[in-house]
Amino acid sequence: MDDAPQLQAEAITKRFGGIVALDQMHFAAAAGEVHAILGENGAGKSTFIGILAGAVRADEGRVTVGGRPYLPLSPVDAAAAGIATVLQELSLIPDLTVAENVWFGSEDLTPLRTVDRRRIEARTRALFSDLGLPGIDPGTPLRSLSLGQRQLVEIAKALSSNARILILDEATSALLPAQVDWLLRTARARADAGALVLYISHRLAEVRRIADRVTVLRNGQTVGTEAMADLADGEIVSMMLGRRLVSLYPARVATATDRIALQVDAFTVAPRLHDVDFALHEGEILGVAGLEGHGQREMFLGLFGAIRAHGQVSIGGRPVTIRSPRHAMSAGIGMVLLPEDRRQQGLLLTKTVRENLVLSALGKVARFGVIDPRAEAAMVERGMQRTQVKADTPEQLAGTLSGGNQQKVVLAKLLETGARILLFYDPTRGVDVGTKAEMFTMMRDLAANGYAILFYSTDLAELANVADRTLVLSYGSVSSVLAGADVTEDRILAATMAGGARGAVVPAGSIA
Amino acid sequence: MNRILGALGRAPAWGPPLVVLVAMLVAIEVMRPGSLSMSRLQIEASEAMTLIFIAAGQTIVVLRGGIDLSVGGTLSLATAIAATRTETATFAELLPWLVVILVIGVLIGVINGALVSGLQLQPFVLTLATWSIVSGIALVILPINQSSVPPAWFEAGNATVLDLVPVPILLLLLLLGWWAWFRRTRGAFRIRAAGSDERGAFLNRVSLTRTNLAAYAMSGFFAALAGLFFASQTGSGSPVVGTQFVLPSIAAVVIGGTSLAGGRGGILGTVIGALILNQIADVIFLVGLSSYWQQVASGLILVGVVLLAPLLAVAAERTRRTMPGPA
Repeated sequence: MDDAPQLQAEAITKRFGGIVALDQMHFAAAAGEVHAILGENGAGKSTFIGILAGAVRADEGRVTVGGRPYLPLSPVDAAAAGIATVLQELSLIPDLTVAENVWFGSEDLTPLRTVDRRRIEARTRALFSDLGLPGIDPGTPLRSLSLGQRQLVEIAKALSSNARILILDEATSALLPAQVDWLLRTARARADAGALVLYISHRLAEVRRIADRVTVLRNGQTVGTEAMADLADGEIVSMMLGRRLVSLYPARVATATDRIALQVDAFTVAPRLHDVDFALHEGEILGVAGLEGHGQREMFLGLFGAIRAHGQVSIGGRPVTIRSPRHAMSAGIGMVLLPEDRRQQGLLLTKTVRENLVLSALGKVARFGVIDPRAEAAMVERGMQRTQVKADTPEQLAGTLSGGNQQKVVLAKLLETGARILLFYDPTRGVDVGTKAEMFTMMRDLAANGYAILFYSTDLAELANVADRTLVLSYGSVSSVLAGADVTEDRILAATMAGGARGAVVPAGSIA
Repeated sequence: MNRILGALGRAPAWGPPLVVLVAMLVAIEVMRPGSLSMSRLQIEASEAMTLIFIAAGQTIVVLRGGIDLSVGGTLSLATAIAATRTETATFAELLPWLVVILVIGVLIGVINGALVSGLQLQPFVLTLATWSIVSGIALVILPINQSSVPPAWFEAGNATVLDLVPVPILLLLLLLGWWAWFRRTRGAFRIRAAGSDERGAFLNRVSLTRTNLAAYAMSGFFAALAGLFFASQTGSGSPVVGTQFVLPSIAAVVIGGTSLAGGRGGILGTVIGALILNQIADVIFLVGLSSYWQQVASGLILVGVVLLAPLLAVAAERTRRTMPGPA
């Protein structure tokens, strides 16, 4: 490792309106290292990455790359300075093919000055095989790829430029475990070859595996930079959270009753979910684990009536057929789904917290079709309190809240419908550690109050620490039921392999 | 049946409208044998060319994620200038005027593009305003409903080049040839990228302003060209004629399979869409309905095509190899 900083930032300040995103922040990293940047959402990571990528301009401060001043006015300058970025929200164009995306702006041209499709597709194939990334056809339109495959394309694109500085911002959020291993190996190889790799992730385990050093940000300021080996997980979390250190997971108090809230028998969603049986009790958090594409999505959407399913479903002992999400949320059923993607499914970003909260329960605050302001205010206050939404006023636009707070608004809104069965589908995706802790506490409180919770998470540690029992889905059926701390990554992987006899389903995009 | 639908859905965006167009032509031929003759098709093409040009420009703006209502004003203005300022006898003397009128079209487009980018205005609102302004200027230049253009225009528009190719067919071939080239250029990729996802395009080093300027400039150029063609075919200019082409220009784009969300589609589809719209009158006449039904039929076809596209996409998705996992 070379000691002179390859990338240095001093006294960087950036304001968005009245909000200070970065406040005299400083940073230094050397060539040849993998340097993690950690912090809660809103700590300033994205803003700093945006400045390096040329998408955001700093108000004050100076950045040097290789000792020379670096003042990017646009992504053009970032590319010229040898900085390649994999962004959390991908920068790919859905209407172009894989090859057109990878080489965008540096395409080979034919003598007629048109883009040479055959040549860029051949180069893409060569790049993918160099990187050890088979299985994606360069001629496919990007929009027909899964999220995980898109993420791989974005990574391959960033790797194609042999950048001096490679920034990976939540680059593994949609990847399978084998693909994550591949990325970590590849990033390490780039660092060994002399590049600086900046690694941003909410997944502490990944950071621990890859990073040499870590810089923690909080409230737009640099808390400190340390060698990864010198820090325990708890120390990192307390650096991120400051003095308000809380345990990430609440104490697991058994609150499950013997009353069955939701009984499911021979539940099938062709072709990905077969004959699933389980009982969810009042007061219980029942975890669902499984690798991407093994039927968990179908299970949740099928139960919620969003896609067609077969089998027996009983609510409180009474057989029901759930015809639609609207029917699921109605008084007779009382089931709601908290989706992983708040923006697409459930939250109106350009409306206020108040408007979002009352939207699905307008009937309760209206008399003769006109909204009663007092009833509305009462409902909004109750909702914001129940899930501890952190907003200045109910009139704040939902889009200006942090991801975790948006999730809380969605949940508050759903609880207003009076539902007692809560389906949580990967609710902590992209949510920071502080908000996660609050959500888990809230989930335990809800369980203690008799709510029945079905909880799918891609993060197995969450299932191990929050769920009372966990169903492991494998190739569309339940391969085992684990209790509490028995839920570990190894056990789930083993359970997944064990269920692999059914040949009909093959996980998508796995790296051979 | 599903296989056929799947294949159609995977075909380029102009596949389904092409099927519709061929079906219409076959129906016309059945009802009135001899309709598919070369001379007859030439007439059809000439009739459709004004719409084809104006819709070709519209396509590029729609690919960029915008919409250009001002094309109606630009078309009118082009015919008004042709009718009042080009008092010349020979074709050679017309040439400078051709250039001047096309440059005016480009300038109107550049102004649109600059205002859309610079003022961050909704293209719909901005071009509604410039449509009104440019139409007003056309009325100032030619304050009567209709006026004839010098005969040289008519001769130019109805000539046969090298005694072989009539001018309208030549122009259509030039347009398609140009598009076959342009769609594969970096410029077209940038326009589509910006129309598909502005943020992604920006991160990919695409200038949002320059793609807007280019797209609206091309739209202005094609609208002026449509005006010139209209004048040469009808031998007349009119300060209000453009208005009747604005909505059909958008309809032709949509029927041709270009997504109003931007990024997807192309001019080949638009040409087919314009020909479909042009054939509707013929079909209505042959079926024996009053010509008033033409607009009803246009609307129904528009809705039908818009409904059909997602169905085909779903069918294509089903026939594609099954891939598990959240989409």
